Amino acid sequence: MRTFRFLLRRALMVIPLLVGVVFITFMLVRVGGLDPVGQLAGPTATEAEFAAIREELGLDQSLFRQFLIYAGNVLQGDFGESWLSNRPVLDDILGRAVISLELLFWGVGLGTLVGIPVGLRAAFRPNGRFDQVSRVLSLLGFSIPTYWLGLVTIFVFFYLLGWAPPAMGRISLLVSPPPTITGSYLIDGLLQANWEAARSAFAQMVLPVLCMAVIAAAPIIKQTRAIALDVLSSDPIRYARATGLPERVVRRMVLRNSGVPILTYVGTEITGLVGTMSLIEYVFAWGGLGQYGLNAISRGDFTAVQGYVLALALFSVIVFLVIDILVYLMEPRSDLT
Amino acid sequence: MMTADATDPRHETQTAAEAPPRLRDRVVGLARLSPTGAAGLALIVLFALLALFSGVLMPHDPVASYTDRILQPPSAEHWFGTDGNGMDVFSRVIYGARFGFGIAIPAVLLSVVIGVPVGLIAGYRGGYLDEVLMRFFDGLRVFPSIILALAVVAATGQSLFNVILVLGLLDSPVFARVVRAEVLSLRASVFVEGAVAAGNPTWRILFVHILPNAIQGALAQVAVRAAWAVRISATLAFLGVGIQAPTPEWGAMIRQGAEFMVTGQWWVGVFPGTALILMVFGLNLLGDGLQDVMDPRRRAAK
Repeated sequence: MRTFRFLLRRALMVIPLLVGVVFITFMLVRVGGLDPVGQLAGPTATEAEFAAIREELGLDQSLFRQFLIYAGNVLQGDFGESWLSNRPVLDDILGRAVISLELLFWGVGLGTLVGIPVGLRAAFRPNGRFDQVSRVLSLLGFSIPTYWLGLVTIFVFFYLLGWAPPAMGRISLLVSPPPTITGSYLIDGLLQANWEAARSAFAQMVLPVLCMAVIAAAPIIKQTRAIALDVLSSDPIRYARATGLPERVVRRMVLRNSGVPILTYVGTEITGLVGTMSLIEYVFAWGGLGQYGLNAISRGDFTAVQGYVLALALFSVIVFLVIDILVYLMEPRSDLT
Repeated sequence: MMTADATDPRHETQTAAEAPPRLRDRVVGLARLSPTGAAGLALIVLFALLALFSGVLMPHDPVASYTDRILQPPSAEHWFGTDGNGMDVFSRVIYGARFGFGIAIPAVLLSVVIGVPVGLIAGYRGGYLDEVLMRFFDGLRVFPSIILALAVVAATGQSLFNVILVLGLLDSPVFARVVRAEVLSLRASVFVEGAVAAGNPTWRILFVHILPNAIQGALAQVAVRAAWAVRISATLAFLGVGIQAPTPEWGAMIRQGAEFMVTGQWWVGVFPGTALILMVFGLNLLGDGLQDVMDPRRRAAK
């Protein structure tokens, strides 16, 4: 019952955030001095044609009404149609979501698996050699542009060493993709015992996932270290140390107490990471949501841009919500609000 | 006299206590307090010198096209090789430092000029205004900053001026939040109550009494936010939004180099990328050092 009340309250708290998100997405396109009407009508259009298109797009209404219409459409799952391809934007997005999630999942998962132990080890011996090296490496990881890292790994591992396949999509052009079950070529290949497809999908994935992991790990190392240091200087831990408990036991206490703040932090990082994901997709021609969005931006397809930006934001909101619920389940006393 | 003092350690400490600290001592002091911060500062000074004296340091015109020397590998004549237009990559990398500073400085300045007053007023007034602003900032935080910047620059028109404007606006909530948090804790302090009781106008309380006490946390962020601005502006140029080739901007140069990576002409993209990393790295190191020096809790943790 208590858990149910928490879930309900937490879900209600999302509503104002969602309104804000939809508003910002709406304004994103409206603030521009761009004229979709001129783009659609072409240079030879008459005044009447202009008016007709304006009416069709709903641009003759007041800004507030336009927002309400847009919000209502979004609520009904209508993200509009692409101005260029006339396809429903939501279909395009949903069709690519799994492709992007696959990259995000492995990349962030690997980055977290590496980042947390490194950050913890740095915190257990602050200012030791390991701490100093990991600190500089993590700051370096902060400073490397995602796309440049992608390009350099392509140069080294594809061109120089010949270990990686060409960075052109999720499966080799010579291998036919397995029939869709989940949408992930790797998993579908494994499920259907299509080893050739699975192997090719895996080979295509290695470089982008590694790049993603490097970029994801840098802030996680830094933040894990800071959180663990905070916990180490807290009264219970200092007391435990003072009573002479073995270091092994103290460290286990630190781990237990750092878990929740680290989980929360990784959750907040997801927003930035979907941006990173988009850039990696762009460099590796991954063909997911990120590449779709960046292409839409460069082509000026603003309904598609709107849908893409909204999808990324909604994804972050969902991740925040899930993390909050996980934190509550791990530590019910965190529900003090 | 100075040489005699230097040989006697006791004398040295006495005179040092009396005389105001010399610049060299200050630099040494900073380096001791935060060695990584000092290293970052050194890197940034180096890039500033490159930007300021690029006219003298560039061996070639950064946009002069030598059509007979397209895609040449690094050599004595062209240290970093030439790109697909036959332009000298070394000169272009040096010139690129100007864009780094030319975008980061005005963008961060704009963020501070907008963010700090907003944070002051929101924190001091509180209530409805504060609530709406904070919810709006929360909403903004759900969007990846790079994607937001991309979409807004693409929608509002692609120019250097727009890039600066958008980066400055998008980053101002960072400063508003930091200042607001400080103001909330200062608002109830005795000296503010005293200033109110003495009949000071609100603007005077905000800018004369509260601001000097609240600004430090915001200033500690400046270098890190500058690193962000340099990184994001280069990313925009890499994606072909904002600054376009053949402008000698690092991101735009990496975009040009991207297609040559798979054919082996690495120098076109690798050198501007390295310069970009070093500058962002320097700013991050400096920012890390600044936060250490200004935050007593972080200083104690070391």
